[in-house]
Amino acid sequence: MSDLLTVDGLRVHFFARSGIAPVVDGIDFAIRPRETLGLVGESGSGKTMASLAVLRLVPPPARIVGGSMRFQDRDLLALDDAAMRGLRGKSIAMIFQNPAYSLNPILTVGDQLIEILRWHEGISRAAARDRVAELLRLVGIADPLHRLRQFPHELSGGMKQRICIGRALLCNPALILADEPTTNLDVTIQAQILDLLEELRERLHMAMLLVSHDMGLVARMAHRITVVYAGRTCETADARSIFHAPLHPYTRALLDSAPRVDYDYEHEVHPVLKTIGGRIPNLAEPPGGCRFHPRCPEATAECAQLRPEPFQVAPGHIVSCLKRGSHGLPT
Amino acid sequence: MALPTPKQRPPGQLQQGWQRLRRNRSGLLGLILITLVVVVALLGPWLAPYAPDDQSAMLGFASGGAPSWAHWLGTDRNGYDVLTRVIYGAPTALAVGLGAMLVAALIGILVGGIAGYLGGVADEMLMRLTDLFLVIPVFVMILAVVRLFGIVVVGTWLERVPFLNLTTIVLLLGLFGWPPIARLARAEFLRLKGMDFVEAARCIGAQPLDILFRHILPNALPSLAVVIALGIGGAILSESMISFLGFGDPKAVSWGQLLYFNYQVLKVSPWAVLAPGGAIFITVLGFNLLADGLSDAFNPRLKQ
Repeated sequence: MSDLLTVDGLRVHFFARSGIAPVVDGIDFAIRPRETLGLVGESGSGKTMASLAVLRLVPPPARIVGGSMRFQDRDLLALDDAAMRGLRGKSIAMIFQNPAYSLNPILTVGDQLIEILRWHEGISRAAARDRVAELLRLVGIADPLHRLRQFPHELSGGMKQRICIGRALLCNPALILADEPTTNLDVTIQAQILDLLEELRERLHMAMLLVSHDMGLVARMAHRITVVYAGRTCETADARSIFHAPLHPYTRALLDSAPRVDYDYEHEVHPVLKTIGGRIPNLAEPPGGCRFHPRCPEATAECAQLRPEPFQVAPGHIVSCLKRGSHGLPT
Repeated sequence: MALPTPKQRPPGQLQQGWQRLRRNRSGLLGLILITLVVVVALLGPWLAPYAPDDQSAMLGFASGGAPSWAHWLGTDRNGYDVLTRVIYGAPTALAVGLGAMLVAALIGILVGGIAGYLGGVADEMLMRLTDLFLVIPVFVMILAVVRLFGIVVVGTWLERVPFLNLTTIVLLLGLFGWPPIARLARAEFLRLKGMDFVEAARCIGAQPLDILFRHILPNALPSLAVVIALGIGGAILSESMISFLGFGDPKAVSWGQLLYFNYQVLKVSPWAVLAPGGAIFITVLGFNLLADGLSDAFNPRLKQ
């Protein structure tokens, strides 16, 4: 099956006054139609930047400086601005982390949703309102016509996120970018929203890029997973392989540091939760060689010298680590 | 918007702000004072007991006369009825305040908005321009320009433009009054352009103009309203000072001018100075209190 979106060697640099920071420095991932890809990494690993880059909306002073992105056989970096605007919201839509801030506080919900349909589809206001109401019903809002007249501050967090999801789905996009869609919600609401996303993705035949730092959430939702660290891809594989046979030392460390419900920590049946030593590198002065080598338990001298190239260990399982057979490039 | 019968439309941010303003004592007082001035300005010709250019008191040697039944606030040294002149000064003051701030707000929001939204070099250049305007000694500048312009227009068609002098003052106050508005507009646009809902609008393919005028500007208006309200009071005060120095429009009735005509007889007929002075005080106080109230109403958390 051909890929819906392919991102190859994406590089985003942050041009600060004090210097240039390569916040994304070679992230690769690919999303197939109708699948969920989990993009996992710590804060500051460049995962949000990478998802914004897909829409070509990295906030200045950051800029996309290299790599290629193909969506439905179109080169995203070669499109002009108008074509890109036509794509945003229509073919690729985004759901944000904090629903409280992602709706305009002084417009009613209806006003902001209806205008989107009118831009992209050029339909009448009444027709647009009907479509919006129908969609809100689809995302589980019981009385959409009433909600359309309300302002964002009158709605609960979960309700707002439902509306944001509805907004993302308005034009039947082929791809949804969900950037930590449940991080700012109550735990009980989180489950509801995740179920909703999964159900809608299935029903509307969409693909989803799920950006998260939460291994548990990704395990539940994603078909395949790409793990990124400090702006580079470490490992890509199907979810099963990532959880049952992780290869990259960083993936292993990440899994070891996630608490498990089935472990008994209190009575020390299982060892205390592990942490990853050290801290995420300052990207203004990234470590040479493999970015993870200062924190890696398996690092050797060459890890500090050579940058690992992606290597396919098994069909669909790609890892970038010198210890797992990657070819090294001098940095 | 054309949504079905918004009979019980719930309160938006603006309505909420209005409700808070009504509960805010100083804001409400400011609003009452301003309403008073506006009503007086609008009904002036019907309220005033005499014509604004009626100097007949001079004939009866009654100039500088103390308050009486015929002249409630007395007469001034030129034989004008003080109450009449104060009433006719109200529209002048409001026109100056609103006109100057209209000009200042347009320039300020444009300059500050562009600077904040674009950022980078444009921001740097526009803000240095703003700084430049901030260090110009506005008052001296206005006095010089008003006087020079008054000389230049003699003998040209411009001379016949009504209230030319006053218009010049208003425009100059506007042209030099925009930097604080620009600074705030820049800060607000800078803050709002990074907000998630603006980012979200961009992510769904909104045009830059839609983002500016539908998403950013309306959210910046509450804060801008505060500086604009303050600025109106400031502009009225400035015009009074200019007129007090004798640089005002001889054809317009202005409170500052009344002070200028009568300050020398302060000891003899204090009413002729106190009345316009009081009017200036009430009006400027009204706008300042309103600004205070607006700031509390739109940023209720600041006070806690």
